[in-house]
Amino acid sequence: MPVSESSPDPQANAEPPVHALGWFWRGVIAGTTSVQGLVLFASMVGFGGLCRDIGFPLGAAMLSTLLVWALPAQVLVVGGYAAGSAAAVIALAVGLSSIRMFPMTAAIMPYLRGRSTSIAAQFLAAHFVAVTAWIEGMRRLPGMAAETRLPFFFGLGTLLIFSATLATLIGFFLAGTLPRSLAIGLLFLTPLSFLIQLAHNARDLVDRLALAFGLVLAPLFAEFGGRLDLLWTGLVGGAAAWVVHRFMKKRKEKGGA
Amino acid sequence: MTFDAALWPYLLVVLAGFLPTEVWRSLAVVFARRFDEDSEALIFVRGVATALLAAVVARLVLIPPGELEAVPLAVRVGAVVAGFLVYLGARRSVLLGILFGEAVIIAGAWYFG
Repeated sequence: MPVSESSPDPQANAEPPVHALGWFWRGVIAGTTSVQGLVLFASMVGFGGLCRDIGFPLGAAMLSTLLVWALPAQVLVVGGYAAGSAAAVIALAVGLSSIRMFPMTAAIMPYLRGRSTSIAAQFLAAHFVAVTAWIEGMRRLPGMAAETRLPFFFGLGTLLIFSATLATLIGFFLAGTLPRSLAIGLLFLTPLSFLIQLAHNARDLVDRLALAFGLVLAPLFAEFGGRLDLLWTGLVGGAAAWVVHRFMKKRKEKGGA
Repeated sequence: MTFDAALWPYLLVVLAGFLPTEVWRSLAVVFARRFDEDSEALIFVRGVATALLAAVVARLVLIPPGELEAVPLAVRVGAVVAGFLVYLGARRSVLLGILFGEAVIIAGAWYFG
């Protein structure tokens, strides 16, 4: 089991026991000092501005940060609303874009799941998984004692999700009062921060190729792909990246043997 | 009708945003025990997801919603490229890359807007 593999921690027995609430607050503090958290806050200010610009109501914008908790999915919902897309089409696009939540959640759960962790607590922990909480979690959790990880992650996730909701609110109101150039700058934060964070998170050749193929193919499919252009870009770009990855792997296996 | 129209964005958030996202998180919890991060199917799926997100980025830059349209295409693309190059040059600093890209777009918006 991965849980028992990751638990040998030399400090686990040396540290005095701190109750769960203490670790929750440590997670909150970790969230306030995180660079990724700062970027998320600013990006969510940008998202709030985007919602205001598009005419998406504030309550629904904040609800989307709390419930959806995945900026690209939120942008797809708001963008689809603005374009007048059918709900099923938006749901399909969101479902495909959020597939990444599956490997991310699956990768972090072994650190969060103790022997006595209830299934409800696991689903709640999984809800906090999004790029920012995942990056911070994967960086910090492996070095921590097993029983401290879940309360720490709850603290981190709670801080991030509520500050992001506040940022959505701030962005919504700032978009109307800021100088126009700054408001445009906030709108631009979403694609800019997204591209850089995607590149930053890219682990393998597949990720880098898929990123490059997606960027190159998107304008083509936007022109000729009809309403499902995002899906086509994802499928064709992702498949092409995977094929190259297979080819390189096969060649490596042949050459390395 | 007006009531329905006012409620529509909230329904959209729950039905088209929350559910299709949360289903993947929930499935991952269920399947996490037998999950193999290096399985080929998962690498394929990750590739599709990454290319799709890249398409979202490209679309927002090329066919931007709202006021971003006021900034010329060359400046929007230039700002993304500049931010990315600074990110790479500054030892993969996400913050510096974003700050520089933002500086370019804000300057562009101020000049052309």
